[in-house]
Amino acid sequence: MITVHAEFHSHFREIAATARDSFELEEPLVAELAERISERYGEKMRAMLIDPETRELNERGTMFVDTSGRRISMDDTLEDGETITFLVGIAGG
Amino acid sequence: MESRLLRVNLSTGELTGEVIPHSVFERWIGGSGINNWILWEHFLTHDINCDPRGPDNIFIFGVGPLAGSGAGSGVKGRITFKSPCYNMFGDSAGGGKFPYMVRFSGYEYIAITGRAPRPVYLHICNGEVELRDAAHLWGRDTAETHALLQQELGDYPSKAHTLTISQAGEKQVGIAGVVSDALRIHARGGGGAVLGSKNLKAIAVQGNGGIRIQRPDNMLAWSDDFRQRIDGNEAVYGFKRRGTLGAVEMYQHIGSHFWRNNQGNMFRGDEIRSDNWVKKYHKYSEVCSSDCFIACDGKYKIDGSESEAAKKYAGETFRRPEYLTTGSAAGALDVRDWAEVAHWGKLTNDYGIDNQDLSCSIAFLMELRERDLISDRDVAELFGHEQTLRWGNMDDIEACVDAIVFQKNPFGELFRDGPYYGALKYSEMKGQNFMKYATYGKGGASFTEEMRPFPTWMNNMAVASRGADHLKGIGLIEKFQRKDLSRIYFDGRTEAADLSTPELKGACTALVENQVALLNSYGVCLFHWMLDPAGYTPQDYYGQAYAAATGIDYTPEELMLAGERICNLEKAFNSRVGMRREHDTVCERWMWEPNPEGMYEGKVAADMFDTVLDEYYEWRGWDRESGLQTRERLKRLGMDDVAEVLAADGALI
Amino acid sequence: MSAVRQKEMVTGRIDYPRGAEVPNVVEKLFALRNQCTECNVCEVACSLAHSPDGTINPQYARLRIDHAPHKPSRVNPLGIGFVAEICHHCGNPPPCADVCPVDGAFYYDPETKAAIIDQDNCIQCMECVPGCPFDVVFVAPSGELLKCDLCGGDPVCVKACATRPEMLNEGKQYVRLPVLFHEEQAAFNAISKQKPEARDEVGMMQAMLERGEISSSA
Repeated sequence: MITVHAEFHSHFREIAATARDSFELEEPLVAELAERISERYGEKMRAMLIDPETRELNERGTMFVDTSGRRISMDDTLEDGETITFLVGIAGG
Repeated sequence: MESRLLRVNLSTGELTGEVIPHSVFERWIGGSGINNWILWEHFLTHDINCDPRGPDNIFIFGVGPLAGSGAGSGVKGRITFKSPCYNMFGDSAGGGKFPYMVRFSGYEYIAITGRAPRPVYLHICNGEVELRDAAHLWGRDTAETHALLQQELGDYPSKAHTLTISQAGEKQVGIAGVVSDALRIHARGGGGAVLGSKNLKAIAVQGNGGIRIQRPDNMLAWSDDFRQRIDGNEAVYGFKRRGTLGAVEMYQHIGSHFWRNNQGNMFRGDEIRSDNWVKKYHKYSEVCSSDCFIACDGKYKIDGSESEAAKKYAGETFRRPEYLTTGSAAGALDVRDWAEVAHWGKLTNDYGIDNQDLSCSIAFLMELRERDLISDRDVAELFGHEQTLRWGNMDDIEACVDAIVFQKNPFGELFRDGPYYGALKYSEMKGQNFMKYATYGKGGASFTEEMRPFPTWMNNMAVASRGADHLKGIGLIEKFQRKDLSRIYFDGRTEAADLSTPELKGACTALVENQVALLNSYGVCLFHWMLDPAGYTPQDYYGQAYAAATGIDYTPEELMLAGERICNLEKAFNSRVGMRREHDTVCERWMWEPNPEGMYEGKVAADMFDTVLDEYYEWRGWDRESGLQTRERLKRLGMDDVAEVLAADGALI
Repeated sequence: MSAVRQKEMVTGRIDYPRGAEVPNVVEKLFALRNQCTECNVCEVACSLAHSPDGTINPQYARLRIDHAPHKPSRVNPLGIGFVAEICHHCGNPPPCADVCPVDGAFYYDPETKAAIIDQDNCIQCMECVPGCPFDVVFVAPSGELLKCDLCGGDPVCVKACATRPEMLNEGKQYVRLPVLFHEEQAAFNAISKQKPEARDEVGMMQAMLERGEISSSA
């Protein structure tokens, strides 16, 4: 059992109605984190996180990074106390 | 597919209509591709080394076949010319209603040469063209000019839509742009100065003609599918609400802003770090581009009660700032109040001036003063009076803007062509080397974003055909670390999405430049593509819409070749004006100064720069030593005629 | 432009004799005020769908969205009024058909019961233009008279209308809606009366800042 923190920005924060939250995971996997977050915040969050076709993380217009700035994917492992940040992937303008 | 081209010779007053035949579309797709071809042909009979502010330069407006075609992918017009500020290829895109309405007026491409003896504007109405006196418009900003023209021209056969320049364009300021319907600017490269030099204040169109779609049923089916894909992605709704402003928090998190002339890469000030401000000021949803399923634009109104600074702007209303409006104000100039950021957006738009060049020029001077490299006396010498230069102070910033727009004083004159040439001239004037503090790539002002941790973006800045630019080869695969896309494009390899290696970074620029050239030729917005409705492939998915609109069936491979051809023509133009590998470079700050803070602290461009550039040339099939194109590659692209011209100029390997 | 393509779009033809009782249109077109971005997609799609030769021209569209930027309105005193010119599909027979002097110039779609102008029989006398109480019978540049036909029950304008995100009003959010609807009156009334979601985001964010839940370096 590990604890992982999630930091929400922009559209994620709007859906979650909070900027930060913590999740206890049985398995230290991103897949489980995504599932827990979706359960807690509902369908809109699930649609943001998980691509319904591929069952991978939704990469279109999003950006999920660990503390070193590396993008995470479904089969990555997590460490106890780690923070994952959920951002929208938009550039330019 | 055929299109109508209007040629305007302002010197003689000659106005001629031409048909752009199907064969030109087969080679150059449309939009920016055809603009580039008109530019290239023009400079086969005119001196390419001419003064860009002289009558020999050409200004081309064009709009691609998917613009306003019911595809729902946005509308972007494109202006193309020889850039007066960078003295090389110049082009710029803009949205709004003008590029859509121009198609109903009877022409889709407008090529303007010569110089009018007195200020005029061009009026096109259902194929009837006229040059009219613009004395009453001269000296006015873009908002006033647009309002006067709309009033003057009335509502029949349609409302008038305009492309206008401001006082900055009239004064031929190199960083002046052209503004569509007083709302959306074609900023980059100095199109405003070209029109100003030609004494052409505005183009106004009216019309109720139609646009012919070759396969209407296919187009309706495609747009239906496209809309479902767009609306099917939850992330799009965040984008619809905020537009690119949504990038503020992401950039803040990864350290990708451009703070105080890129001395840092995060915004300071509590409120400005979040996109949350949009809820305070955002009022209405109108003012969108036409024919767009996303409609990301919005409108703000300042009540005056939001903050201390907002009092000054009470009642002001305009388009909600985009990321780069915010990046240039809150980043480069360290403005910390959102009302001021919003006002900066309105100011630069009304003055029709590129806020990237403008903010980098002002930030350069502010940094010199902050570091005590210049004294108050030096500043007074530039402005003709005592002038403070405080970061984030709107009074000081507006004094600098006025100086440049109205060419009021030596500062305005020095920096009329952006920070690179401004810094060069100022260094020479003071006998000191200040280039360390100028931020630029290939002579163009930096886009106000941190580039150092991102090798593809840095490569974009160095090689883009119109000077430092993230829009030509927009490196989203790298910045968002899209391994999935890297796999698709590079036979299963993921390095393009890995920030720690130079591998595939140059390749990624080359590939995405071709794709973006293709999108620009369709005449659509890049944001739909960025939000990835169908796997980032303008050649496959958008290709079907192109076929529906034009009746030209291309394979994805053929479309990619067409994209490459368009990029190569831009490159060929620059080779003809003498650009070589040594020009494909970036400023000292990026090259040697370590990234000062944030998630990717310590990175410098020099770590990977040359490796990436070599790889870029390799994928392009260009000569690594000189940076010049090769006959072999041009032959493969079916550009033998271009190769001959380059060979005659000694610009071919 | 001829009516050939329009005939393809409707589901059939019923001609009622004058004075006969005609069933009314049940599902009509509606627009939500204050949500439209003037993207023109509805007009573009309408003109493309109805054009026999695949020409897009909003002047041939059977609905018009006008933002009349100089006209102040109740929702927008700054003068960016919003005028949705959409056929109301009045009780049948509608006033436009009632004033028509020609037999067979108006007929009805058996599926939607929409009154439709038969361009082959229409003599372009334009009686229907002032006959329409809502000014939504349009005259095309070619002289053809344009009236909404509901596309046989699946209007392309409604399909094309971009779904708006939750737009913000006074710090509150509306639910996610498009601007155009093809609904029964009662259903649309329910939609237009939907209350904004109760999430006041500005207040929420300020509270989070105060509680220290959002760091300023976030």
